[in-house]
Amino acid sequence: MSEPTTPHAEPATDCDTDTDAEPMLAVYRHDVHKLMMRSHTAARDRVAGVRVNEQVPLGADRDAALLSRPRGEPEQTVANHESPFRLSLLTGDTAVNPDQTDGDIERAVRELVQIEDPTEMHDAWLTASLPAQFTESVYYPYTSIKYHTLLAAALLSNYRAGASFEDLCLVVDDAHDDPVSHRTILHTDYASLRLTASPGNSPAASLGPAPARSWADVWSRLPDHPFLADTSRRSRNLDAQLRRIRSWSTALQFIEDFELHAQRKAGGL
Amino acid sequence: MTRIQEVLLKLETSYLGTPYYISGNALYSALARRLSEETKRHLQVSAGMFVPGEHGGFPDAHSQSGGVSFFGTGLRPVERYDDLFVFRDMAQRWLSDTRPRDAHNTHPLQEFSTTAGYAPTRSFGRPPEKRITKRTVSWYVHCYVHLDEPTGQTTFPFPACMFDGLRLGGARNYGFGLMECVETRCVDLSDLAYDRLETADAYQLELLTPYVTASEYPDADDQSIPWWWDGEGDLRTRSSTLARGDDIYPLETVDHGQVVGYAGSDPIQTAKNGLLRVGTHSQLGFGEFRLRPAEDDRVPDRQRTQAAEPTSKPHASPGGHR
Repeated sequence: MSEPTTPHAEPATDCDTDTDAEPMLAVYRHDVHKLMMRSHTAARDRVAGVRVNEQVPLGADRDAALLSRPRGEPEQTVANHESPFRLSLLTGDTAVNPDQTDGDIERAVRELVQIEDPTEMHDAWLTASLPAQFTESVYYPYTSIKYHTLLAAALLSNYRAGASFEDLCLVVDDAHDDPVSHRTILHTDYASLRLTASPGNSPAASLGPAPARSWADVWSRLPDHPFLADTSRRSRNLDAQLRRIRSWSTALQFIEDFELHAQRKAGGL
Repeated sequence: MTRIQEVLLKLETSYLGTPYYISGNALYSALARRLSEETKRHLQVSAGMFVPGEHGGFPDAHSQSGGVSFFGTGLRPVERYDDLFVFRDMAQRWLSDTRPRDAHNTHPLQEFSTTAGYAPTRSFGRPPEKRITKRTVSWYVHCYVHLDEPTGQTTFPFPACMFDGLRLGGARNYGFGLMECVETRCVDLSDLAYDRLETADAYQLELLTPYVTASEYPDADDQSIPWWWDGEGDLRTRSSTLARGDDIYPLETVDHGQVVGYAGSDPIQTAKNGLLRVGTHSQLGFGEFRLRPAEDDRVPDRQRTQAAEPTSKPHASPGGHR
């Protein structure tokens, strides 16, 4: 499961942007204003003394956004939900921890952005619960900022290694193995998924020629699924729903929510 | 001349069967009870695909354009081969972008003591100042049937009342899986336009229901993967079962949803065969596929993205670390 760690290259496109922070840290901090419930324009440059809300190089943020939201001017899609808190596709309710205070949120944001080691930062986002409570945009309340950020980081990491979008594949890894730094986009007890241009012998499906809401398409073409759909009815339910979802961050968050729910019901998958 | 009868059913009560679609076997068994011995021998059914009753509009490949409110609540005109698939793609690409399409297209899961099923409707909240504070989306099922030979005793198409009150899936003796027939329509496959396939140079084949490779059902032959499937890597397989009365017969299948190339020489005939399904248990909905021009993208957004930004590929050239 080793990834070629080609040092990244000098990009030649106009979507290149310099970042103050190391780029693989900046990408995890690029949407901190959304966790602070502020618009991009009203965002602070620093949180807890750390530079945040920087532009992501190589167009990785834009491409990650296109994986989960339609192109063009956003329109409100849920009439009565004008909140940065995510709506759960599983329950229909707001995915917010009712016991948490604004102080708890701010503390969790500070802890998350202050991590200085890029690999640690990636691991922290994979297991973080705070950003899973927020949407990518108030207009698309079922999307998840947690998985948008992990997707943007995976794209940036691949782009920096010289890959272009059309080279990328969704790969199924063994959930018992450690996540691959910056490439793993979902890591739960039952499933580990990764974006890479060099899948090796792992089950992989191509992402297609350009970023778009293509989750159901890519998922249903995978030569292997991480869940035990032959034997478990619960897994078949999850798999069936995943073949209907088009937005990437919505789908990845749905897997996480589904597993948490299954664990609470003590059944597992 | 092959005529198929499209049927749109409305789910009236909770459903407890296979989660992907309503199996052709379930539909066949429920219909067979209403038919003569001779007719049911010739009856061929598709799988029943779940469709949300929501707003939407025709995707690009279809003969019609524009959209209507409650697109998913009725059958849509069929003039072109692609039109038959508007509701048979699980991603339901016709759903409108102005509403949360993924929320509309995922089933409202209902937990029962030992299992989970689908509720027949889902409610979405509305702002309190609106007169109606709740909006309800119902679920429908799209399937089609045909006879492989005309039979003397039954007229085809069947009357709509034959599809009314079918009970499908698990716990159907306890009121689950009750269907009401909304609409039926007859389509002659030879009258359809196959123009998009006629002008294409290469094709892709998308498996809409599993293809059976081995079955323990009496007298069912094992099937190899057709030579005209131009494989792309490993095909995902899945073990499944076929229930007949109290007996359960194991099946080995190539799982649905996968895409292969097409290496045959008669795409139009292959496309028609795909509608009538191929291989073992095609009578029961297995082996349905859709043929597409290879340059066609199944994700309409992706084509628009490319058109909008032909040079959007973020390329890196070799160089040192910054």
